[in-house]
Amino acid sequence: MSELETWFAVQQWLAREARLLDGRQFDQWLELLHRDVRYRIPDRSYRTQTEPRDFATWSVDAEIAPEHGLAFVDDDLGGLQRRVARLQSAMAWAETPASMTRRLVGDVIVDSDDGATLSVVSALFVVKARRDERVLLTAERRDRLAIATNGYQLRERLVVLDAVELPTENLSLIL
Amino acid sequence: MASITISMELAMTYRNLVAPDGGWVAPEIFSDQALYDLERQRIFGRSWLWLGHECQLPQPGSFLRTLMGDESVIVTRNRDGAVSAFLNACRHRGFEVCQEDRGVAHRFQCRYHGWTYGADGALIGVPGEETLYFRELDKRAWGLIPVARVETYKGLIFGNFDLDAPSLIDDLGDMAWYLDILLDRRAGGVVVLGPQRWRIAANWKVVAENHIGDEYHIGYAHGSMFPPDLGAARPAPLPFAREIRPAPGHGFGVDIYPDQATPRDWLSNGPLAMAPAHVTDYLLEIHEETAQRLGDQRARMAPIHGTVFPTLGMVPFFNTFRAIHPRGPREVEIWSYCVVDRDAPEPVKRWLADYSARAFGPAGGFEQDDAGNWTAVTRSSLGEQARRHRLNFQMGLGHETRSDRYPGEVGLTASEINQRGFYLRWAREMFGVAA
Repeated sequence: MSELETWFAVQQWLAREARLLDGRQFDQWLELLHRDVRYRIPDRSYRTQTEPRDFATWSVDAEIAPEHGLAFVDDDLGGLQRRVARLQSAMAWAETPASMTRRLVGDVIVDSDDGATLSVVSALFVVKARRDERVLLTAERRDRLAIATNGYQLRERLVVLDAVELPTENLSLIL
Repeated sequence: MASITISMELAMTYRNLVAPDGGWVAPEIFSDQALYDLERQRIFGRSWLWLGHECQLPQPGSFLRTLMGDESVIVTRNRDGAVSAFLNACRHRGFEVCQEDRGVAHRFQCRYHGWTYGADGALIGVPGEETLYFRELDKRAWGLIPVARVETYKGLIFGNFDLDAPSLIDDLGDMAWYLDILLDRRAGGVVVLGPQRWRIAANWKVVAENHIGDEYHIGYAHGSMFPPDLGAARPAPLPFAREIRPAPGHGFGVDIYPDQATPRDWLSNGPLAMAPAHVTDYLLEIHEETAQRLGDQRARMAPIHGTVFPTLGMVPFFNTFRAIHPRGPREVEIWSYCVVDRDAPEPVKRWLADYSARAFGPAGGFEQDDAGNWTAVTRSSLGEQARRHRLNFQMGLGHETRSDRYPGEVGLTASEINQRGFYLRWAREMFGVAA
């Protein structure tokens, strides 16, 4: 595929994935995952700067990798399956009634890894409405997509939230 | 202590806020601004508030930024190793002199006009000291405002704005004996990972009372986390659970393993029944050390949940401690940490951290469903009609017992013994009524 065709295919894949999640079609979403998937949402912190400014310290990567961090989510396939099973139970009150959500995925950049995997960076914009809550979350997604015969499989996702103190009562959504 | 006044109206009505026996409370304590303003003085102005853990301040110059009540403070380790805390407010205009979460700094410089303070809070630099202040500024009088008291218990750092407060250890009372189960089971003590931080539109007391004693909600509110056949799956001998109120305002719930239970039984009935071998091996390995340090009686106790008054919430079953910081009467900012043995192997720490985050924290399967309950209680208390009617806290009232083996008062699981203790302590701190 040409660079443009690959970019278009990835963009479509991300849009369809977002639509599955907004539509609460979690079983179909699970089918997009590679069996060795790793899905992480790290916590983030305000970092000390040094003088003169050290850009290694100032980077986003430093903010999401504090030595004593406690990730919000660090799941493998089993963890994600259990997360979905919980959401589908009749007693997951955080999503009963369900949140109304809209995910916009943009600024998609595709880098080829090794022929078998694509590295994809994108921007995620999620709006959630439920009862009194109106939540806006934005994040950078750093994905690795395995190239399969019938499309792509999510091999790895790192969700870098643009927040330290999350402006939401929970993270019941899959980002 | 600063003089405190309360309005005549409040003084007249406080008896209508909490029952003399704790059996009911008035919903308005969950949303009323005037009561919150009074809490800022009488609860957050003179209680021991959890600031962090000594592992977060590993060397001279280490600092962390946190909250006491809704006010920003810095906690520092000085050159001599002592831990101090200061209001995070420059004495010139009140700007926060520290904006980062933690790190190492030997000075804090205000970025508004450049006043500079040492790790001991002393004002050490003022731009224009000679030319603009004519060397007349008495820098010794304008250091950062220290938090009056800073004391630690087994690595946990607490601060108190009230110079005359009872010592931390006196305030904890017998709660300290039970906290040792979590903090002192190994010679190296514990370290904390985190925090995860998030905001919930709930009153701080609703969150604290859930942690202190609400076993009642677990089977229903957290129904999504339990397979239907859970009871059948648990092998004998089963632990029995109790709610314990060791000292006014403090409390916790605990699984207690009967004498015939082995450490392996203990594991297969606890929350770590499904842990991988390297984690269960570690826990079995340390059991002897734990039994030696704590004695057989406490080694058989697995605390489930608890609160140290007013705002240190715990869910030890899932290795989490959290500060429930108020952000006004109707919002909290939770700072949630994972607590692990300092000397546990790194893979065990990592596994426990992930396990903890899968259950608690904003993405945790348990905690996701808690927030909606707390916001609903808070929202309901605003109703002009709803707020006129008291809320029931009578479960187990009059059925508290005492036991030679367990210091404090003991209730069944479930019982609202600890919630009643919490609100009676609250009323005593707020209005001076005997609890």
